[in-house]
Amino acid sequence: MRTRGTHSSCGRTLARWLAFACLIGGAGRASAAEVEAAQRGTLFLEPSNIKGNAGITVIHPQTDVSATFASGFGIAAGYAVDVVSGATPRVFGVRNDATGRPVDAISGATKFSDVRQQAHGGLSYSRPVGDFAASYSYGWEHDYRSHAVTVNTRTDVLDHALTINLSYTHNFDSVCDAANVDTAGIPLARQALTNSNNCFKGTADVATRSLNIDAVEPSVTWAVTPRLALQGGGTALVLDGFQSNPYRQVDLGRAGARPQETLPQFRQRYALFLRSAYAVPAARASIQAMARVYRDSWGVRAATAELLLQSYMTRFLLWSLRGRATAQGGAVFYQDAETYFLHGPNGKYWTGDRELSPMQNFLTGSQLTYLHIPEAGEHHFISELDASLKFEMLFYRLDSVFAPNADRKYAGILQLAVSARF
Amino acid sequence: MRSPSFFKVFIVVLLAAGAGGCRHIGVKAHQRELLADRIMSLEGNAQERAADEHILSNREGAVGATGTSGGGCGCN
Repeated sequence: MRTRGTHSSCGRTLARWLAFACLIGGAGRASAAEVEAAQRGTLFLEPSNIKGNAGITVIHPQTDVSATFASGFGIAAGYAVDVVSGATPRVFGVRNDATGRPVDAISGATKFSDVRQQAHGGLSYSRPVGDFAASYSYGWEHDYRSHAVTVNTRTDVLDHALTINLSYTHNFDSVCDAANVDTAGIPLARQALTNSNNCFKGTADVATRSLNIDAVEPSVTWAVTPRLALQGGGTALVLDGFQSNPYRQVDLGRAGARPQETLPQFRQRYALFLRSAYAVPAARASIQAMARVYRDSWGVRAATAELLLQSYMTRFLLWSLRGRATAQGGAVFYQDAETYFLHGPNGKYWTGDRELSPMQNFLTGSQLTYLHIPEAGEHHFISELDASLKFEMLFYRLDSVFAPNADRKYAGILQLAVSARF
Repeated sequence: MRSPSFFKVFIVVLLAAGAGGCRHIGVKAHQRELLADRIMSLEGNAQERAADEHILSNREGAVGATGTSGGGCGCN
């Protein structure tokens, strides 16, 4: 299983980035039109209803700093960490690892912890009717590395009534996997990766698989009336490479085969969305709504709806309420653990991934934001300060007790954020 | 699910909404006071959006149409 993360190293890296952020903020202040620094911390808890199973805990701090200069040029940098711990089932199946007797699908959870880190930086150039930005990010963990390049352009047309945005991202990712040199290309013979100790070290027992991702995201924003704005757009994603969870095994058939999860090499994913924002000045509030449809070449189809209400309680206090629902069908090769055991796989692919199963999820929560905005004519070192606290609950509804992660019915998300403009 | 037809209906609604509103294009600068307020921002806070998408994209099959993209196996 994955090796233990180095939390102290993570803290030192974060401290260096914070120092760098302060340096940029201080140096940039003399000539910059605006300097912004933002810090956010997210705690994600997804408990298990099985006694002794820790579920999943993720601590996700983010730091971002940006400076926009009077010439229109801008620079941005950021750093984010995922400290992940908990227990996840090593085998997706209905039999106990040790006894081979039938049990529920998720009893054999194995404890793990890992640290994912990501650093990113970018440059931008703004004009009165648009801007251009390019950024690079590098993400790393014990068993996964990711390089991503993003370019983005925005143009205002028709006297700023329409804003056209186009973004392209390419990922050059690497995934650690078991070498599986003796399998002769037979998926049923593939063994799962047992730990990440030798990942990216060139040893014979592990291999590095590539994953390339291309993402194109066009959108148009339209100021329809003085109170209504609309936005429509989409995403096209093409993934080419190793997409399985290298640690996961799937229990296939009564003969006891437990090969590594096997997913197709290619995946095309498409989404379209429509979003609206409507102002309610009498209540100093706005109502935002979003609808999204999604489909991909693995047969997953989904629809998402979201509603966001925001209202100023006072000049300094902003309150928001969010509700979101998603319903999706499963991938064509997905089956629950009992079906995999009784009938074997449906074709040459098999998975124990909850995200590829038929499911619904519902998210609801609220956020309170304190806004410090000086009166007109007042000048302070900090020109604007926001501090916010958000709490949300995410509920899962799966279609079978033998679905992946069926022991985790809900998750809690707590987020604390502070941002300042200088 | 009957998503293929739903997909087509969604595109038609999107185009109809655009075509129907063409005669209104051009909200004047002095009419944008409400639209300029932070609570009317359709993009929202970039850092918050990235955190939300990071959570949700690892817990449901659908992604995209949010202005963010990225990698990571989200194995857990």
